[in-house]
Amino acid sequence: MTKEKINNNFSDLEKDILQEIMNIAFGKASADLAELIDIYVLLSVPDIKIIGMGSLPDYIKNTISAYKEVSIVDQKFWGDFNGSGILLFQNSAGRDLITILEDRSYKNFEINSLVTLEKEIFLEIGNILIGACVGKIAELLNTFVTYSPPLVFDENSDGYGSFPQSFDPFQTAIIMKTIFKFKQKNIDGLLLIITNQESIGWLQKNLHRFLDSYQ
Amino acid sequence: MIKKILIVDDSPVARMMLKSCIPKNKSYDIYEAENGKDGVEKYKHLVPDVVFMDLTMPVLDGYEATSQIINMNNEAIIIVSTADIQPNSISTIKKFGAFMVIEKPPKSSSIQVALAKADIKLEKVSGAA
Repeated sequence: MTKEKINNNFSDLEKDILQEIMNIAFGKASADLAELIDIYVLLSVPDIKIIGMGSLPDYIKNTISAYKEVSIVDQKFWGDFNGSGILLFQNSAGRDLITILEDRSYKNFEINSLVTLEKEIFLEIGNILIGACVGKIAELLNTFVTYSPPLVFDENSDGYGSFPQSFDPFQTAIIMKTIFKFKQKNIDGLLLIITNQESIGWLQKNLHRFLDSYQ
Repeated sequence: MIKKILIVDDSPVARMMLKSCIPKNKSYDIYEAENGKDGVEKYKHLVPDVVFMDLTMPVLDGYEATSQIINMNNEAIIIVSTADIQPNSISTIKKFGAFMVIEKPPKSSSIQVALAKADIKLEKVSGAA
C-alpha cells in the first residue's frame, strides 16, 4: 500500500466555495476561448476531490477510460496557489479541432506535419483554458500566479506512460475537475486543476476570505 | 413592487453570495431551490415576482427550467446569474425568455440594477393586466 499523507481537513463549506470558484473560472476560460475561436463550450458542474497524490495515477486512469488514446496538456503554475493544470482530450479530437481552426491563422503556419499541427492546437487550447481558468481562480483569491510553458504528450511522446506517476505520492492533491464538450464537433474534454500540500493552508484561509467578502 | 424572490442554484455558496447582494432594506421574501427541477416546482407553488436562475445545474439545467417557467407564465421575470458568459449561451438563454443575464460572481451593484429593471417590468405587466 502506498504511504500517503492526506489532508482531509477540508470542510464541506470549503469544497462548496472551491466548486463555485472553479465554476466561475471555467466559465471565464470558455468565454475567452469562444472569443478567440468559433467554438461553443458546453459546461458541466465541477467536481472537487481531495486525495493522496499516490492515488492520482489511478484516479486519472479511472476518469479517462480510454487512457491510452488520450492527449494530455500539462501546464504548471506557481505562486501562493501552485500546482498543475491538466487538459485531456481524446486523440481523435485533434483532427476535428483542425477543421474548426482551418480558417484561422493556423492555415498559414509553416507546419508540415499533421501530427505537429494537432499538438500545436492542443497546446494552444490548453494554454488558453488552463491559463484563463487558473488566472481567474487566482484573481478571485487575491493572488497571482506564474506559468511554465505547457507541454503536450500523446502515446508516442517520451514521458507519456510515466506522466501519471510524475506527482509526488506523499503530497495531498485537491482536484478540481470539469468535463466539457465542444458542441459543434462533439469533442469531449476534461480539465483538472491539481494543487498540492504547500497550497492547502493558504487556500483554506483565502476561500474563507472570499466568502467573507459577501457577508 | 417585487415581494418574492426565488434563487435557483445548485451551489449553496452561490445562493449565499447572491442573497448577500440583495438589498436588506426592501424586506423581500427570499426562497431557494437547489436545481432547475426544484426551481420549477417552487415557481409553481410560490409564484415569485423574480427568479434568479443559474444555467449549469444537475437534474435540470437553467435553460430547460427557464423554458418550463416561461411556458407557464410568459411574463415571468427570470434573471440568469451565470458563470457561462459565452456569447452563444447568453443569446440562447435570452431566446428562451430570460429577462437579463448577470455574470458571476454577483456584485451588489449589478443585482440592484437588475432588481430595479425587474420592478419596472413588473409594474408594466401589472398595469397592463
